[in-house]
Amino acid sequence: MKMGSKHITGLALGLTVSAFGSAAMASDCTTKIGTVLPTSVDWGRPIAETAGFAVEQVNEAGGVQGCEIEMVLRDSQVDPKVGVDAAKALVDLDGVQVLIGAVSSGVSMPILTSVTVPAGVAQFSCCSSSGAFTTLAEEGGTNGLWFRTFATSGVQAAVGAKVAKDQGYGSIAILYKNDDWGQDISKLIAEDLVDMGITVTASVAINDGQPSYRAEVTEALGGQPEAIYMALYPNEGASVVREWLSLGGTQNMVMANSLKSDEFRDNVGLQYLGNALGTDTASPRVASADAFVASYKERFESEPNGPGLSNSYDATMIALLAMEAAGKDATGAEIAASVSRVTDPAGTPVSADAAGFAAAREALTAGGSVMYQGATGNVRFDANGDVSAPAVVWSFTETGTQEKQYVTLQEVDALMMGD
Amino acid sequence: MIGLLSYAVFFTTVASILAIAVLGLNLQWGNTGLFNGGVVAFFGAGAYGTLILGSAAQPDQFGGFNLFYPAALIGGMVVAGLLAWVVGILTLRLRHDYLAIATFGIAVTFENIMRNAEWLSGGAKGIRGFEQPLRDAFGGGLAYNAAFLAFVVAALIAVYQFLQHLVSSPFGRLLRAIREDEGAARSLGKAPSRVRLTAFITGSVIMGLSGGLYATFYAFVSPQDVLPTLTFQIWAMLIVGGAGNNRGAVLGAFLIWGAWTASGWSLSRFAPIEAQLYTGSIQYILIGSVIVGMLLWRPQGLFPERLVVSQSGKPGATKKQGV
Repeated sequence: MKMGSKHITGLALGLTVSAFGSAAMASDCTTKIGTVLPTSVDWGRPIAETAGFAVEQVNEAGGVQGCEIEMVLRDSQVDPKVGVDAAKALVDLDGVQVLIGAVSSGVSMPILTSVTVPAGVAQFSCCSSSGAFTTLAEEGGTNGLWFRTFATSGVQAAVGAKVAKDQGYGSIAILYKNDDWGQDISKLIAEDLVDMGITVTASVAINDGQPSYRAEVTEALGGQPEAIYMALYPNEGASVVREWLSLGGTQNMVMANSLKSDEFRDNVGLQYLGNALGTDTASPRVASADAFVASYKERFESEPNGPGLSNSYDATMIALLAMEAAGKDATGAEIAASVSRVTDPAGTPVSADAAGFAAAREALTAGGSVMYQGATGNVRFDANGDVSAPAVVWSFTETGTQEKQYVTLQEVDALMMGD
Repeated sequence: MIGLLSYAVFFTTVASILAIAVLGLNLQWGNTGLFNGGVVAFFGAGAYGTLILGSAAQPDQFGGFNLFYPAALIGGMVVAGLLAWVVGILTLRLRHDYLAIATFGIAVTFENIMRNAEWLSGGAKGIRGFEQPLRDAFGGGLAYNAAFLAFVVAALIAVYQFLQHLVSSPFGRLLRAIREDEGAARSLGKAPSRVRLTAFITGSVIMGLSGGLYATFYAFVSPQDVLPTLTFQIWAMLIVGGAGNNRGAVLGAFLIWGAWTASGWSLSRFAPIEAQLYTGSIQYILIGSVIVGMLLWRPQGLFPERLVVSQSGKPGATKKQGV
C-alpha cells in the first residue's frame, strides 16, 4: 500500500506545516492564489519553486490581510488547452483573484483573453516575452489586469542603437536569426536606429545550419555600411563574421547578448573583435538583488541560475503586495489597480523578503505607498504592464568578456521613451 | 455554485470541440482505415484559416478580410479541405504506417511554417483574430459562454448526424469494404483511391471545423496550439472511445479530456504539499497508464464498432442496428 503511506506522509507534513503556520501567525483564514506554470518541464519546476518561496516568506510575515496564502499550483504542460483549462478551474472552482502564469506567451495569451480578462482576475507572468501583449494592452484588451516582470527585447534593441550612436556609426546593416526572437529584435533596432538618424542599409535574415552565408553577407555588404548589428547565435554568428571579414567587411560590430560566447570569440579570433561591442540586460546593481540571491541560496542551497527565477519571485511578491494594498476580499481589478501603489518610486523602499513584506504592510496600513526593491531591481510597470531592465555594454577579452559600460534602469527608460 | 456551472460550461465547450475532431479522425481511421498522423495540421489549417479570414486588418499581418463569422468558419474548413486534397493526392498511395509517417511530417511542416511565416500567421507570437462573435449581445461572461456552448454542441450534433448517415449509407459500406480488403473492392468495380481521398478530405474538413471553433473560442492561435501533442490526444480519445463507432468517438473525447483535466485538478487539491511540484509529471504518468490499460484490456475501445449485415435494403433497419 504505497498510496497509504504517501497519504500519511502527506498528512503528517500537512500537520507540521499548519502547526508551524499557526505558531508563526495565528491566522485562521486562508486566501488562495492560482499558479499555472509548466512544472512538468525541467526548467519550469524551479520557476514554480521560486514562486512558492515568495509565498512562504509572505506567510512567515503573517500572510496577506492576516490570512495565510495558499498557492494552488497547476501544470500547464506548455499546452495552451491544458493551461487555459487549469486557469479556468482556478478562477471558477477555487475563486482565485490573482493568477501567476504562464511562462510561454502562447499559453499566457489565451489565458489572458479567455479567462482572466473576462473574469476580472489579475494576471502576473514571470516570463512571457511576446510583443503581442503590449499591442493587446495598447488596444485596451487587457483592462489593466496584465503584468509581466520580464523585460522585452526592446531593452536590448534600444541599448544596441545607443552603442551605435555613441560609436558614431552613420550606417548599419542588420543580420538577425530567423526566429521569433530575431525577427522581433531586428525590427525594434531598425526603428531605434532610424530614430537616431542612422541609416539601415540592409536587414538580412540568417537561417540556421547553412554551410555558407556568402549570399546573405554579400547582400549586407552591398550597402557599404560603416558597421553591422548582429542578433545571431554563436554558430551561425561565427560563420557569418568570417565570411564578412574575408569579403572585406568592416570590423565595427554591435552584438546582442546571444553572441556573448567563448565559442564565438575563438572561432572568429579575438584580433578581429577589437571593435565589437555587445549588449545585454543586466542584473540590477542594487542591494535587493543581492539579498534575493543570498536568501535563495540559503533556501535551495544553489545559485538562482536559471531562466526566469528572479522574475518569478518578483511577479509573485508584487502580486501579494498588491493584494495586501488592495485590502480584504479585493477583486482582481482592485488588486491590479493597487500594483502602482506597491511599485511607486516615491514610496517607502521595502526589501524582497519576509521583513520587507511586514514593513510594506505597515506603510500601506498607514495609507502610504511602497517601492518594492525586488530580485530584478526596483520594478516599475508601464501602462501596458511591461517592465524595463538595466543593461550593460561588453566587449571580448582573452579570457571572456569585460563590462565596458553599465546602463542604469533610468537611462534605459529614457532610451525607451525616446522611441 | 455559479463557479462550478461556469467551469462545467467551459469544460463541455472544449470537450465538444475536441469531439468534433475525433469524429473527423473516426471517419478516416475508424471507417476507412487511413492512419492520419497529422491531425493537428488540418485542425490548425481550420484555426488559422478562420482567424485570418474573419479578422479586420492588422499591421504587418496578412488578411484583413473581415468576413462575416459563418463565412470565416466555413472558409477555415475549406482551407483544411484544400490542404487535405493536396496532401491526399501526394500521400494516399501510402499505406498504414507509411501514411502515418508522411502525415506526421506534414503536421510538423505545418507547425514550422506557421512559426516562421510571420507575414501570414504572425510567426511564433501567434495571431489574435477577432473578438468572439456576438459577444456584446450577451454581455460577455457566463451567458455568452453558455450561448457559445449551445452553438458548439449544435455543430457537434450536426457532424454526428451527418457521419451516422454517411457510414450507414452505401458509401459507408464502401469505405469499410476498402478498409477490409482494397483488392476485393476494386474487383467489384470501385475506385478505392478516389474514395479514400474523399474520406480523407471529408474527415479533414471536420477537423478544420473543430480548429475553427477552437480558435474562435480562444480568439487566439499560435504555433503552440498545433504541436504534435494534439494529434496524440485526438488519437487517444478515439482509441479509448472505440474506433469505428461515432458514439464511442464522442464519449472518448469527453472521457480523455475529462481525465486530462480532472487529474490535474485533483492532484493540485489532494497531493501532499511536497509533491505539488511533481504533479505535472505524475499527471502524464496517470494519463499514459489509462491509455496503456485500455489498450491492454479493451483494445476495441469502450464502444467497439458493430458490424452489421446490411442487406435488408430498408435504410431504417440498418440505421438502428448500425449504431
